[in-house]
Amino acid sequence: MSDATQTASERVLLDRERLRDTLLAVAGGDRTAFETLYRLTSAKLFGVCLRILGRRSDAEDVLQETYTAVWHKAGLYDAERASPITWLVMIARNKAIDRARVEAGEPRSAPIELASDIGDTAADPPATVETADGSRQLDRCLKTLEARQRTLIRTAFFEGATYENLASRGGVPLGTVKSWIRRGLLKLKACLEQ
Amino acid sequence: MSGPDDIAPPSDSSALAAEYVLGVLDAARRREVETRIARDRAFAREVAAWQVHFAPLIDEIEAVDPPLYVWPRIRSAVFGRGRRGGLFESIGFWRWLSAGAGGLAVAALAAVFVMSRPAPTPLPPAAAMVAKINLDDGRPAFLATIDLERGTMLVLPISAAIPADKVPELWLIPPGDVPHSLGVVDVSHPVSITIPPALRAVVGLKAAVAISVEPPGGSPTGQPTGPVIAKGGISAI
Repeated sequence: MSDATQTASERVLLDRERLRDTLLAVAGGDRTAFETLYRLTSAKLFGVCLRILGRRSDAEDVLQETYTAVWHKAGLYDAERASPITWLVMIARNKAIDRARVEAGEPRSAPIELASDIGDTAADPPATVETADGSRQLDRCLKTLEARQRTLIRTAFFEGATYENLASRGGVPLGTVKSWIRRGLLKLKACLEQ
Repeated sequence: MSGPDDIAPPSDSSALAAEYVLGVLDAARRREVETRIARDRAFAREVAAWQVHFAPLIDEIEAVDPPLYVWPRIRSAVFGRGRRGGLFESIGFWRWLSAGAGGLAVAALAAVFVMSRPAPTPLPPAAAMVAKINLDDGRPAFLATIDLERGTMLVLPISAAIPADKVPELWLIPPGDVPHSLGVVDVSHPVSITIPPALRAVVGLKAAVAISVEPPGGSPTGQPTGPVIAKGGISAI
């Protein structure tokens, strides 16, 4: 292995290129490539679905829907716009969130601790090299938000939770949560576009 | 885009795009946003930009191996259950089907579909339906059998011709609603489709189905962009 001489970013770039090529082959109807794509990405996508849905059987169903959609829509993937894994995860998230809205089974009830300070006590999340630039930038911009805005936005992304759910778990009125998140998003946008 | 609790001003489309990507909106609002994504390119770009902005958070989500039985399930949902050389891939079967296409073929096809299922339990009658998707002159273009129990649809091409650089896309149109894509189908092979859970409730005798001609990969907008070449209704078997 030449791994020792290869930088981490080169390796990740190769992985990204491999995924992109696999996705292109899937778009061309290559069934073997489809199986390779599943092998390379299904654990991440299942983790995403499970985090949003909680119940494994729902996450399995959504995983199936996701790959079915990927088989039919792989031709729509635009490498200029997003990395292959981002594209795949966003499809899975959308489907998982839709499923969560339809099922509306047992909404999460774990309280969300909403500190009002601006202090940055959270440990820096580990960043993989693929998203290092974007990751550093998002991280930096999230830190400009109030702690409670940051917590709400991160929780919403990971769990696909509704405003109503976030409000009840955070113990704050719905309108307050909406306004915190919206103001946080606009501030985030201004920072990200600097 | 207005609603009773629409707090953000209408110009705040970037915040709305971010709310959609975050996942804080309820089902009705999500449908509204998706309609807008399909119609409004600038807004669709905002959504894509937010997806990229938030992408680094994906790294923090723990990967979990799905159970081993999920892949075979996906494979059969996508590629169909028929084994290589099976009935659905036999040219003779297709010739016979096209020659006799009509009521007889539909009934026979339904019987074949039910017989080919591996499970020994017969389907309750209400769980199986068929859609005849006809060209404007009444000739059948596609036949689809719908298995409500599994939420799947098997779409069989009969006599559809479309340009070589295009693909046929199947749409479900519930009464009074806009078309919902069921995915890209194929003019030369049967395609098994998983009906999205949100649509399973509206697959019924009142819904219509249609085939439009789309660029490879399907409609880029989420709504039909090319001509509708065939349509039909759904009936019980």
